[in-house]
Amino acid sequence: MNRVTIRTVKSGFAIGLTITGLLLGALFAGLPALWMIASSFKSNTQIFAYPPHLIDDSFSIGPYSSVLSNPEQLRFFFNSYLVSTLVTMLTLLIGILSGYSFSRYAFRFKKFLNLIIIAVQSVPPITLMIPYFGLIVALRLYNSYSALLFTYLVFTLPYAIIMMTGYFNTLPRDLDEAVMIDGGGSLTILWRILVPISLPGIVSVGIYTFMLAWNEFLFALTLTKTNDMRTVPIGIQLLMGQHSFEWNQIMAMSVLGSVPVLILFLVFQRYFIAGMAAGSVKG
Amino acid sequence: MGKRLITLLLIAVMVLMAGNGTAKAQSGTVALQFSQWWEPELPSGALRSLMDDFEAKNPGIKVQLISGPYSTTHDQTVAGAATGTMSDVVGLDGAWVNDFVKQGALADLTKLMTDAKYDASELAAQVKLNGSTYMIPIVNFVYPVFVNLDLLKAAGIEKLPSTRAEFTDAAKKLTNTSKNVYGWVLPLSTEQPNGIQNDVMSWVWASGGSMLKDGKPNLVGNADITSAMEFIKGLYSAGNIAKGAFTMKEQDKVEEFTNGRVGMMIDSLAHINLIRQRNSKLNFAITALPAADGYTGKRGLPYASWGVGVAQSSKHQAEAWKLTAFLMSAETNSRLSSVANAFPGNIKATPDFVKTDKLFAEAFDVFKAGYLANEFTGLPVAEQLMREFSEPFQQYLSGDVKLDEFLSAAQSAWEKHFQ
Amino acid sequence: MQNTHISSGSTELRNFARLGLTKKLTPYAYLSPTLLLLTMLSLIPIVTVFLYSLVDNVIITNKPSLFVGLKNYIDIISSVNFRQALGNTLFFSATSVVAHLLLGLLFATLLNSRVIGIVPKAIFRVIYILPWVFTASVIAILWRLMLNPNGVVNYLLIGLGLAHEEIEWLSSRQLALPAVIFINVWAGYPFYMVSLLAGLQGISDDFYEAGKIDGANGVQLFRFITLPQLKPIIVSLALLDFIWTTHQFTLIWMTTGGGPIRSTEMLSTFTYKLAFSSNQFSQASTAAMVILAISTFVALFYVRNQRLADE
Repeated sequence: MNRVTIRTVKSGFAIGLTITGLLLGALFAGLPALWMIASSFKSNTQIFAYPPHLIDDSFSIGPYSSVLSNPEQLRFFFNSYLVSTLVTMLTLLIGILSGYSFSRYAFRFKKFLNLIIIAVQSVPPITLMIPYFGLIVALRLYNSYSALLFTYLVFTLPYAIIMMTGYFNTLPRDLDEAVMIDGGGSLTILWRILVPISLPGIVSVGIYTFMLAWNEFLFALTLTKTNDMRTVPIGIQLLMGQHSFEWNQIMAMSVLGSVPVLILFLVFQRYFIAGMAAGSVKG
Repeated sequence: MGKRLITLLLIAVMVLMAGNGTAKAQSGTVALQFSQWWEPELPSGALRSLMDDFEAKNPGIKVQLISGPYSTTHDQTVAGAATGTMSDVVGLDGAWVNDFVKQGALADLTKLMTDAKYDASELAAQVKLNGSTYMIPIVNFVYPVFVNLDLLKAAGIEKLPSTRAEFTDAAKKLTNTSKNVYGWVLPLSTEQPNGIQNDVMSWVWASGGSMLKDGKPNLVGNADITSAMEFIKGLYSAGNIAKGAFTMKEQDKVEEFTNGRVGMMIDSLAHINLIRQRNSKLNFAITALPAADGYTGKRGLPYASWGVGVAQSSKHQAEAWKLTAFLMSAETNSRLSSVANAFPGNIKATPDFVKTDKLFAEAFDVFKAGYLANEFTGLPVAEQLMREFSEPFQQYLSGDVKLDEFLSAAQSAWEKHFQ
Repeated sequence: MQNTHISSGSTELRNFARLGLTKKLTPYAYLSPTLLLLTMLSLIPIVTVFLYSLVDNVIITNKPSLFVGLKNYIDIISSVNFRQALGNTLFFSATSVVAHLLLGLLFATLLNSRVIGIVPKAIFRVIYILPWVFTASVIAILWRLMLNPNGVVNYLLIGLGLAHEEIEWLSSRQLALPAVIFINVWAGYPFYMVSLLAGLQGISDDFYEAGKIDGANGVQLFRFITLPQLKPIIVSLALLDFIWTTHQFTLIWMTTGGGPIRSTEMLSTFTYKLAFSSNQFSQASTAAMVILAISTFVALFYVRNQRLADE
């Protein structure tokens, strides 16, 4: 009985602490975003007014209607979603296979290949830009979705592989052995056991890959020429003119771009809870 | 689960095969590509309608407008030239010409003009290197001084400052830190260092001075430079310059002025309408850059232009020249400068706003009374020169180094690029 | 118990596996798409950049390039600006990684707690992930607006009495670097948080039950169960973040441009200016190779660590 009482007192304190922490963290994360939303409704001058207000008399949905009524901008959104989704699916597929390889096998060039895969992403993209651009032109992929797709794969794969290797490494080998005893091959182990259990990890890798592809600017700009191939980050940059920035439209476009992504995140959140519920090995 | 994935991937592959940029023109027509950053800054459809006019006058030529963000235009053009994907006609800033010529990216316009038997007498300016023209400024944005008349009146100042002494005095009187108002604003961001050109060196040129001698840097022991730098330092030390100077950009500067927190600023003509749009209650005037006390000669006016060049790799150089000539024709040039709120590159063209708008008329008078001065045009790595000046300049303003140290540092950094 | 949902269609595979060859090739087979892609699209440009670093100049030059061997390397390494950028970058990356880790771990733990219901938890998760969904240039602009001397941050600070005049956050030599680090920490912690949250899901409750039975309290459970379980993921995250932060360009470029007076000059901005402002592409390539060398060195530690995990 004593144990229970102590636990309850401790829990009360813990609950209070947790909730305070959550609220403070939410302020830290959310206030700038709130400011962005507020700015998207203001007139450009009022964004710079002092003292600043959250909402003022210049409130209008003008910036949003400007963006949404512009077919070019809408095309940017479409392109971004298309490319990001495809990149995510392909990255997950290839990343899972490669992560499996690094996690479960010992082979001769393993360290070397692991090092290469990590090292290739340490070259600053800005220096790679021109040689890479030349390569894409030589491959006749200039100004196409394929160019963006392959380019982003090169960026996202090392990350996906490292993370999947890490997640697979947290899963005990007993699971693999259990499958092998029953006559299953490596593919079976991977798709029937490891993947379902690593679903939270896979979802998090997928989310990050999507974000990376979504937010990438430099190569999207360099490898596309015409507006029908360009993506949202370029659309936002086009609002930053030589003489002035369309501050409120920039904010509006950013908000519009992030809302569907947040909704997607809300939807996929439940896979975070999947955890050990899928096919664990007990006893 | 597996089957669904495979179907999705097949769809992906099909989309990839289909997804390619706008198709090329049919045979028989010449398809020109014109890359620039102007389209987003002009009223919607304005540039395209000019291109449609060109196409109507030149059947057999089609113009595709490729627009990009200004901040990346230079880098993208370099990359385009390096990979052979440069547009036929390229929008250029005078600061980039030297570098592109070095890269071999630009065609010799003098030769194209001769081939086309073009009469170049109407061109206000041509950017030349080694005797050949590589860029023609289509429209020019001059940078006069904007003054907030309400703040001026409240500070008890009767007339617009026309000498440096008057400017210093006005800046002091206009500054009111309790109201968060400052006399002057100075954008010294190293990301976009054109503040050195428009807001700093302009003081030198306005008094007929020069930062070069025989085309080589002449910063040390140059009386005009010394006096201008000391003048600015005086304003800075007195606290009359708005805060945030070291990372401020031109686009931020105008917002400070629009919100009535700055009394005077040197700024682009293009902002007249912008300020009006953003804050219709703001009462402001245009005046020339004050000269050094006692200077009575013509005043240099800093400017930035929207210029055009032709790609060396273009397969349609003659047609590309036709487009350039079209842009420079008196009629088109007037139209373009009207919508861009800039001064024409054709001496015969007159933008309509000069006749209808008082402020623009004032600016035009300033323009006519002085001369276009921007010594950075045509210099090698002009933007880097501005940066290499900006960094020791910031140290000088903060009091870390003395004037001669600062100028020597800038001079030696510059000289490396002139060998 | 264990047999029920395992397919038996892998007899052929089993037969093949008896031939040792297939077993040896399997890992390579799994890696093949990656290797193919990276070789073609990554190695070729990197090798090109390396070759650029060995000549006197490329791209913006009409003259043919001359081979100069290691001269560029000596120039770069002895350049004071490079060393300053290197120092700033290491400081920037190290502090960012540590802050990201602490915040990410803290938030992941908070979000994983059972104290709150499912719906509030979902809402909090969406709020916490916000910095991630915005593109770098917008984050830079947003913070520039907020940290403007006349911006909302100063307004709040003055209003709360924590400051008595407008602070030049991004324009002051002393404050610019901390400010930029803060922005980077804000923008980057969701990466850790989401990855660690996923990792936390993978820790079996059995461990915690066993721990509680042994009398461990919350903190001890965290130290002896949670952290060790998360270790492989944390190591991966730290490595990746370190490498990525070293590249961080847009955020710094659009807030301070490397200024004032190079106080926020990073290797990325330094390299960019070399390439596109001074038109020294060879030197920029050299700087890139030096960065590659440093990152590979760091990566070596990670790979060694992996080897230990195998055994």
